Amino acid sequence: MTTTDEAIVIGASQPTGTDPGAPTEGRVASRRPTWKVFLGKPSTLIFLPLLLLFVLVSVIGPFFVGSPSATGNPPLLPPSGQFPLGTDDLGRDYLARVVYGGQISLLVGFTVALLCMTIGVVVGGLAGYYGGFMDTALVKVAEFFQVLPGLILALVAAALLGSNVLIIVVILAITMWPSCARIVRAEAMRISKLGYVESAKAAGFGGIRILWSDVIPNAMPPVLVATSMTVGRAILVESGLAYLGIGDTNRPSWGALLNSAQAYMQQAWWLALFPGMCIFLVVLAVNILGDGLNDALNPTIGRVK
Amino acid sequence: MRAIVSRYGRLLVSSLLLFVAVITVLFVLLELAPGNPIQSLVGDVPISPAFEAQITAAYGLDKPLWERYFIYLGNVFTGNLGFSFGTNEPVLELILGRAGNTLALAVPSFVISTTLGIVLGSIAARTRRRWLDSTISGVAVGLFSVPNFWLGMMLIMVFSLTLGWLPTQGKAPYGQEGIALQYMVLPIITMATSELAYKTRIMRASMIESLSQDFIDTARSKGVSSQRVLWRHAMPNALLPMVTISGYSLGFILAGSVLVERVFGWPGMGLLFIDAIGRQDNQVVLGVVIVLTVTIIIVNILTDVVYGIVDPRLRSQLVRRSTTTRKIEVPA
Repeated sequence: MTTTDEAIVIGASQPTGTDPGAPTEGRVASRRPTWKVFLGKPSTLIFLPLLLLFVLVSVIGPFFVGSPSATGNPPLLPPSGQFPLGTDDLGRDYLARVVYGGQISLLVGFTVALLCMTIGVVVGGLAGYYGGFMDTALVKVAEFFQVLPGLILALVAAALLGSNVLIIVVILAITMWPSCARIVRAEAMRISKLGYVESAKAAGFGGIRILWSDVIPNAMPPVLVATSMTVGRAILVESGLAYLGIGDTNRPSWGALLNSAQAYMQQAWWLALFPGMCIFLVVLAVNILGDGLNDALNPTIGRVK
Repeated sequence: MRAIVSRYGRLLVSSLLLFVAVITVLFVLLELAPGNPIQSLVGDVPISPAFEAQITAAYGLDKPLWERYFIYLGNVFTGNLGFSFGTNEPVLELILGRAGNTLALAVPSFVISTTLGIVLGSIAARTRRRWLDSTISGVAVGLFSVPNFWLGMMLIMVFSLTLGWLPTQGKAPYGQEGIALQYMVLPIITMATSELAYKTRIMRASMIESLSQDFIDTARSKGVSSQRVLWRHAMPNALLPMVTISGYSLGFILAGSVLVERVFGWPGMGLLFIDAIGRQDNQVVLGVVIVLTVTIIIVNILTDVVYGIVDPRLRSQLVRRSTTTRKIEVPA
C-alpha cells in the first residue's frame, strides 16, 4: 500500500516539484509568474493601493496634520473644512488623532504578523520535518491556544503585567504564532516525503540544509497567505483590547479612540465612525489581498466540476 | 468497543492535562504581576511588620511557591475559585449568576450563525463564479473584516439612536427582572456576524471540495437531480469540517462576548470580566477564565465525540479495529 501511495505522490509532484532554486524552462513557460497573476486581479488593483495609502498616511501623515493632543479648539465640532474629521470631546483635531492612531494599529498588525511568521516557520518547519518531540510539543501548544482564546489570554496578561505597545505586540505574537506554525508543519510534513527531498538526502545533504533550501521555500505559499491574514487578525484583536481599555493611554490606537467615542455616540457620530471605518478598510484590504494571493499561488484549488 | 474506550480515555486525559496547563499559566501570570499583594489588599497606607506578617500567614503567602501552586490547583479542582476583593462574594457564585445572561446571547448567536453559514456557504459553492456566489463571498469577507464591537456601535447608532426602533443598553427596561426580547436583537446580530462570515467561508470551501469528488460524478451519471446531489450526496460530506469549526466557534463566541457585552452594557460574564480587570479583582478575572476554559474543553470533547459518530470513515475504522479485521485495503 505504501509503495503505491508514494508513487502517486511523487508522480503528482513532478511538474512543480523541482528544486526551487532552479526552476525548469517548462515551468516558467507554461504559466504566468505568480506575482503577475496576483497583480492582475481586479481586487488587487483596488485594495493594494488602498493598503499602501493607509501605510503611507500613517508614515508621512504626522508631518502634515497638527498635534493630536492640542486642545485649543471648540469641542465636538462636526466634520468641516477646517477639521475634516471634526474635533473630539476635548477639542482635539480628530484627523490628527486618527492619523496617529493608525500608526499604532498598523505597527502592531505588521509586527505581530512578521513575528508569527518567523516563529511559525522555524518551529513549524522543525516540527514537521523532524517530527518527534518538537512535533508533539507544537501540537500540544496549539491545542492550548485553542482552549484558551487569544483575546482572553491577552486581556489577562495585559491586565496583570501592564500594557504598553511592546507588551501588546509580544502577547499577541505569543497567542497567534501557533496557527501559522501549524500550517508550516503540515506543509513541511508533506514536502519531507516528496521526491526532491529524498534526492537531497541521497545526495548527502544534512537535515537543516534540506529544511532551509528545499522544505521551507516550498512551504512558503500558504504561509504568506496566513501571514497576510494574521495582519488583519492582529489589528482586530489589538483594537478589541484597546476598546476595552488595554493599551498605551498616551498613544491611542484606533481601538482606543473607539473606546472614548462610546460615551459620545449620541452627540458625535464621527468619533465612532471614522476609526472603525479605518480598521475595517485595512483589515478588509489585507484579507482580500490574502485571498487573491491564495488564488494566485494555488490556481488549481477551488476548481470545481 | 475497546478501541472506542481507549480513544475517549485518551481524549479525557489530554483534556485534563490541558486544563492543568491553563491553570499553571494563569498562576505564573499572577506571580509575575508587579506589585505587592499585601499592599494592594490593605490599600496605600503604611503597615507595621507585625500586621504584615499576620496577613502573610493568613493568606498563606509565606508558603513556598510550589506549595501555593498545589493549593491553588486543589482549590480550582474542588470548585473553590476564591472570593472577590470588591464584594467578598464567592467567585464561582458570582460567575454562575452571570452565566445565564451570557448564554442567552451566545446560544442563539451560535445556532443562527451555524445554520445560516451552512445554507449560504452551500448556495455560494453551488453557484460558483456567478453573481450570487460573488455577492455572498464578498459580503462574507466584509463581515469577517469588521471589528465586531464597532459593528455593534454602528447598529446602536442607526437602529437605536437615529431610528429609535431598539433599545441601546442593558437586557430589560430599568427596574425590570429577566431579559426582554427586543434588547437581545442587536447583541445577537453583532455576535453572530463574524462567526457567520467565517462559517460561510469554510462551508463554501468544504462544499466545493465535496462537489469535486468522484462519487458526485457517479451520482450525476446515474441521473440524480442536481438538487438531490447537493443536499443528499455532497452535503453530509461537506458538513464534516463544519462539526469541528462549530465546536471551536463556541469558544470564539464566548470570548467575543467580552466585547459585545461591553458595547451593549449586557450584564453577563464578559462584563463581569471587564469590570474585574478595571478593579484589579484578580480572583474574579482568573475565575472567569477558568470557567470559560472548562466550558470550551467540554465543548471540544463533545465535538470530538460527535465527529466520531458522524464521520463514517472514523466509525468504520473503530468497528474494524475492534473486530481485528484491519487490513481490507485494496491490493495494489
